[in-house]
Amino acid sequence: MLSRLVQYKDLLLVFIWREFLIRYKQSLIGVLWAVVQPLSLMALFTFVFGVILKTSNKDYPYVLFFYAGVLPWTFFSGAVNFAITSLSGNFNLVTKIYFPREIIPFSGVAINFIDFLVGAVVYVGLLLVYQVPLTWNFLWMGPLILMLVLYTTSISLLLAALNVYYRDVKLASMFLLQILFFATPVIYSIDAVDNRWKLLLFCNPLTFIVENMRRVTIEGRGVILWQMALVMASVLLLYFVIYRVFTRIERSFADVI
Amino acid sequence: MSSKSIIEFRDVWKKYSRHQVLHNSFREELMGAFRRRKRKENLADGEFWALQGVNLAIKRGECVGLHGPNGSGKSTIFKIISNVTYPTVGDIVCFGRVAPLIELGAGFHPDLTGMENIYMNGTILGLSIRELKRLIPEIVEFSGLEEFIDTPVKKYSSGMYLRLAFSIAVHSTADIFLFDEVLSVGDECFQQRCRERICQIGQDGKTILIVSHNPVELSKTCDRIVEIQHGKLVEASA
Repeated sequence: MLSRLVQYKDLLLVFIWREFLIRYKQSLIGVLWAVVQPLSLMALFTFVFGVILKTSNKDYPYVLFFYAGVLPWTFFSGAVNFAITSLSGNFNLVTKIYFPREIIPFSGVAINFIDFLVGAVVYVGLLLVYQVPLTWNFLWMGPLILMLVLYTTSISLLLAALNVYYRDVKLASMFLLQILFFATPVIYSIDAVDNRWKLLLFCNPLTFIVENMRRVTIEGRGVILWQMALVMASVLLLYFVIYRVFTRIERSFADVI
Repeated sequence: MSSKSIIEFRDVWKKYSRHQVLHNSFREELMGAFRRRKRKENLADGEFWALQGVNLAIKRGECVGLHGPNGSGKSTIFKIISNVTYPTVGDIVCFGRVAPLIELGAGFHPDLTGMENIYMNGTILGLSIRELKRLIPEIVEFSGLEEFIDTPVKKYSSGMYLRLAFSIAVHSTADIFLFDEVLSVGDECFQQRCRERICQIGQDGKTILIVSHNPVELSKTCDRIVEIQHGKLVEASA
């Protein structure tokens, strides 16, 4: 699947660079925005759940708990939001010139990943401030991030392609993302959920990813291997199926967009 | 047909719909992803043939003009050559890289500077970053926009905008150049340079296709002119 991108790698690079430039043109604090969003969401959740509602379901600091959840969620929702209108918004390119269409949603995933990495540096800083011991289990972040990127890419491709045909996708995405936010354990822990609902929540790969990102960093525990294998396999399968469908239907984008 | 053809249309038909037939098309595409697409040779409600049995062979190094009224299928031919869309029926063979200069400045972003847009537009036209770095002095010189190259293009006048776009386009290293109504760019002086540049591209052995409403203009530049009407080739004069 990557082979068809090889001869267009320069175009992909330039697209990423362009989106990055556009994003921070005429902006005062530029790339600092990458940390402002997760930090402010974290502060908000800490205030609402720690000060107003006074809930506690984990014995580690609110700040770490929420930041660890907000960081992957911001990446996912940022990339998906970008992707949805990426093809239909660039119709002047799509109807005029051929290039692998996935390059446009891919560049959205890439710039949001840059933001994610910047945010991750802040996360490591927070872990150090709260004196969380670093363990070898931290390395599980590698495969977890890979899964997060693959899943985000799949959903981005799917919604970008669908929005070429039906603009309903854009309209529906607003509240669908909101629902998905609550279906992902960003502001709660899956441990607090009744067993009946756990299975349902785990149908969302983000649930596994977010929970385990907390587990391997804050708790310093390893992942449960069979769960990891299962989720990894389904994320990969989803990615290949969606990418294959995408490459087949992209031929008609110019005619229907 | 000769084996030296660089582009060859073999009985190409292209169907378009007047309406948005979203539901059908999406379902068809989805099914097509898993099994062989059935050839649809009948017109459904609201559909029409944009191209009807086009046979066209273009040799390497030829400069061909396409002439015909609006909606006769000239741009559809370009879109099929540049792989943006595909024939409903029939085959097309095309050897070599295509630089589709269908709409000048497609992909320009108003907030980016002229220089940044050269990179953007250049890679869209198939140039690599390395090639662009080498070509940039030439491109800037040709456009005559040295002074404004670090200005966001939203501040450009429409003439400057088109001059920059055209300069990038004609510096492409592709084998096939498609010009769609682009000979009317800029002032007379710049148009003259454009014509010279197109001649030079032709002398370099590149294949050129030009679409224009102006037959006088075409006969000046092209080796032969193909007349298109209602999606059919009417005559091919020398």
